Amino acid sequence: MRPILLQGHERSLTQIKYNKEGDLLFSASKDIGINVWFTHNGERLGTYDGHNGTVWTIDVDSQSKFLVSGSADNCMKLWNVATGKCLYTWEFPTAVKRVAFNEDDDQIVCITEQRMGYQSAVRVFDINREGEGTSQSKEPAYMFNPVGSKATVCAFAFMNDLILTGHESGKIALFDMKTGDEVLNNERAHMDTVTDLQLSPDGTYFITSSKDKTARLHDTKTLAVLKTYPTETPLNSAAIAPKRPYVLLGGGQEAMSVTTTSARQGKFETRFWHKVFEEEVGRVKGHFGPINTIAVHPGGTSYSSGGEDGFVRVHHFDESYWKVKPYGDMEIED
Amino acid sequence: EDAAEESNVSAELIAHRKRLVDEWNAWRRRCKDDLAEERKKKGTEVDGEPGPQEETKEEIE
Repeated sequence: MRPILLQGHERSLTQIKYNKEGDLLFSASKDIGINVWFTHNGERLGTYDGHNGTVWTIDVDSQSKFLVSGSADNCMKLWNVATGKCLYTWEFPTAVKRVAFNEDDDQIVCITEQRMGYQSAVRVFDINREGEGTSQSKEPAYMFNPVGSKATVCAFAFMNDLILTGHESGKIALFDMKTGDEVLNNERAHMDTVTDLQLSPDGTYFITSSKDKTARLHDTKTLAVLKTYPTETPLNSAAIAPKRPYVLLGGGQEAMSVTTTSARQGKFETRFWHKVFEEEVGRVKGHFGPINTIAVHPGGTSYSSGGEDGFVRVHHFDESYWKVKPYGDMEIED
Repeated sequence: EDAAEESNVSAELIAHRKRLVDEWNAWRRRCKDDLAEERKKKGTEVDGEPGPQEETKEEIE
């Protein structure tokens, strides 16, 4: 499984995303650039230029028509995937930390940071998909301020009108987007900041990673913890592999808190855990710094990791990945 | 290699794993039912096209 190295970012990666077909990979970084790559050969297809600060977050719709991005420049931008043209810019009082499309591609949810008298806010925008996409409403359809711990990650839940959030305190919650009410929460989902939240293919469960060194699988409807994957390092990202019973975890200590350099180079690992048995099954080394973001191909054929080192590594799974049956012949539903 | 490892695994562990898989699969089936239910409520076809009565349905809820 020789990885393809994507070189194009000068600073650490913040989020990477495959499109639905998995032929494209989008990457956002602190160098203010957004790139799109062909996953089969690692060739760069294009860039999305216009932000003036760290791009914290990106998401692509299921038709690979629109890309949305959120940045430290307090802007959220909508892009034409094919041309790289910025179609619309929303401006906020503070940085945009997380964005996500809904399943039907007609709404976007975003989180803006708490800073200088501004509360952390969750906004939902209706997306007009008619024509070019340049005509969008400036005002959100819904907006609310989660009380208590600020939200760090979010996604649309499969249940009507509900937004799934992860928080700085380690809490996960479900909010009614129309009323802003917290309809359900799990205060003790994690003991520290939730750093990533990724849904299963059908959205009925999701994985979170946390600074508390664990990743956890949760039931979307009840927010109950289904599985726990404990590690010895703060985690920045966690992903669910479709078609195989694995979850992928990435993280690592910040460079500053690590005493040595050369001996540890290339030692930051993506950890593979058995999703159901909660047992670690393997590790893939490579990055020269903590792993900030992991994504799995929607068809399960490859995965990619983006590091603090500024590299994205695309790993195409080889045949043995599909053949090997750790722990026997049991059929595990996706 | 895998086969060799497998034979070393105790019968107890195999039974434990079997139980975990059974629980998981049963739960997955319940999830799929919930999802189908929610989509019906939403007035959305399974493959993602919004149904015609979507708006009125939303008001009823």
